[in-house]
Amino acid sequence: MSQASPDELRLHRTGHISHALRCLSGLPGSLTSLDSSRMLIAYYSLSILDLLDGLSEKKKVIEQCREWIWKQFIHSEVGSGFRASPAVCVDEHAETPSSIDSPHLIMTYGALLSLAVLRDDYSQLDRSGIKRLLRSAQRPDGSFSGVPNEGESDVRMVYCAFAICTMLDDWSSIDIDKAITFVQHCRTYEGGYSQVPGQEAQGGTTYCALATLYLSPIPARLSPKERVQTIRWLAWNQDSGFRGRTEKPPDACYSFWCGGAMKILNADGYVNVAENARWLSACQFRYGGISKNPTETPDPFHTYLSLASLAVYQPKVPDDGDAGPGFDATWQLPDHDLLINARRETAEWALLHIPDSPRTESD
Amino acid sequence: MPGDSVLYSERPEWSDIQPIAQYETVTPVAPIFYSDEYKDATGYFRAVVKANERSERVLQLTEHIIRLNPGHYSVWQYRWSTLLALGSSLEDELLLMDELATTYLKTYQVWHHRRLIITELGGKSNPARELRFIRQGLNVDSKNYHTWAYRQWLLAHFNEDALWEGELPFVEEMLDEDVRNNSAWHHRFFTVWQSGVRAGEEDREYTLNRELSYTKEKIALAPNNGSAWNYLRGVLDFTKTSYSTLRTFIEPYTAPRDESEPEVLDLDNPLPSKDAQLPCVAAIEFLAEIYESEVDNAKRAAELYRSLAEVHDKIREKYWNYRVGEALSSAGQVVAS
Ligand SMILES: [Zn+2]
Repeated sequence: MSQASPDELRLHRTGHISHALRCLSGLPGSLTSLDSSRMLIAYYSLSILDLLDGLSEKKKVIEQCREWIWKQFIHSEVGSGFRASPAVCVDEHAETPSSIDSPHLIMTYGALLSLAVLRDDYSQLDRSGIKRLLRSAQRPDGSFSGVPNEGESDVRMVYCAFAICTMLDDWSSIDIDKAITFVQHCRTYEGGYSQVPGQEAQGGTTYCALATLYLSPIPARLSPKERVQTIRWLAWNQDSGFRGRTEKPPDACYSFWCGGAMKILNADGYVNVAENARWLSACQFRYGGISKNPTETPDPFHTYLSLASLAVYQPKVPDDGDAGPGFDATWQLPDHDLLINARRETAEWALLHIPDSPRTESD
Repeated sequence: MPGDSVLYSERPEWSDIQPIAQYETVTPVAPIFYSDEYKDATGYFRAVVKANERSERVLQLTEHIIRLNPGHYSVWQYRWSTLLALGSSLEDELLLMDELATTYLKTYQVWHHRRLIITELGGKSNPARELRFIRQGLNVDSKNYHTWAYRQWLLAHFNEDALWEGELPFVEEMLDEDVRNNSAWHHRFFTVWQSGVRAGEEDREYTLNRELSYTKEKIALAPNNGSAWNYLRGVLDFTKTSYSTLRTFIEPYTAPRDESEPEVLDLDNPLPSKDAQLPCVAAIEFLAEIYESEVDNAKRAAELYRSLAEVHDKIREKYWNYRVGEALSSAGQVVAS
């Protein structure tokens, strides 16, 4: 019954599963630039497997990932959290790591969700250490830096901080008001949000900004007028797939960033779902994985975000009859938690198991 | 330099150092199959970090690793603190960055390091030279987010009239090269509206008119350019100017060209260029919004939105139908389908 007719498009599920498993088992030297973000490779790859049900029967992979991820949990002077990899670990048995071997906010976000995909019980998690990390990563302007007192600080890290606080169910370590003010200052005349105030509106940072505002325990949502303007900018960015900035060509990752932002604003009804899926279909690489556009090679980042976009925007099976090829049953994906950015059951696992409960008797 | 250098393990001047291999005590996830050169260099890097060594050779080593992996933020971080500890010449470092930023334009770290250098140099730095350097970078990649971000940071950081003065001519040059460069349009907004009112710009009415004329001219040149329309809307919103004031300008863009009508030259309202594809979706949307703001014109607004949904911009059919609904409901009317 689910046999695809020749004019129907297919989601190459087994190809994408092998792509993710291949990335987890090793990357070629040409990808040495990913040395500082291996934890994110793990997060994207595991999330691909999660959405495609590719982890059942994979006990060994699950065990190895869990073990390696916990090895990256470190305690430093600025707090505890996950690092990207052991690339700058100089002594595994040292009490405190070297000054440059530091936990990172984005890696901590990715690791917490990876562990949720693996259904870990978080018994090794030092929650108060993570709270200290969050506190020391917040800047006077309200933003967060990935590594306390170092390098980039922008709306992406603010999002990670808010997502981590949501998962911890504890907001006591950060100044929410200041962070919200920072995000609001990233809004531009186009109706999107930039990485830091003053810069150009961009799809990825717009998702981060909106997800932050809608995760916030303090009301921070857009005014009706702002909402209308942002929806307009996002809708204009659809061109089969989505582009990340006005007048740029589309790129598969923005199918999630912009499409997701539309859904946060309850404007998912205005997305051209079939066109989005057809574009992503064309970005599928012959040997598995999805690329940023049909001419590039695939990577786990674009593969996961494309699948997440498809989970949010499921093309109709069978197709709703508009011009162009339809979709077979391979396109059916599980529910997705938009603000946390994970399969719904996985986000629920994180929200249930990460908070510091049950409370201790001595309370 | 990468590729043909002698391994550190074979260099006598490094023989006092015992390299530290990467700690992978459990089965690694997403391990990278490093080149021997990278494995060797990072082994010595871990060793100098452990010894907290700050020396000339550490600068050479970190430069080497950066050339192999320019996104390695921990190596940049260690390099920066080493430069400060040694009191090294930051002018020399900037020269090195001129080269590295050109080669590794897309890497955030090369721009961040540059920012640290300029901040540290303070009054001794030369921001005008930086602006020229950025311009060269934009010749290679005219929409690079980091490059533009660095320019915006630099202008705000120094906030000198002499620096700001060159920005409009610069933006115009960029837009002459590519009128669809949204980064340049954004930079125009940043310069004109978001950075305070500078000497010579106090007459905001004049500034508004100048910006409207400029934008109209660019729209006339290439009407289907989202960047110019977004800038136009941005200026009107920012100055709280009614969209209706542009009605005469907009109308010729909303219908197919009427060849029979003689062209009257109106400098305030330039007509679409000869080869422009008409009608223009953004112009129809704009006119519909003008109608929406008027009493009793909701139906005409809805008609225009419907023409976008059904004829001119079908990819956004659902979006335009929502605008139809909004136009009619805000006028208190029932959606007629
Ligand atoms: Zn992308």
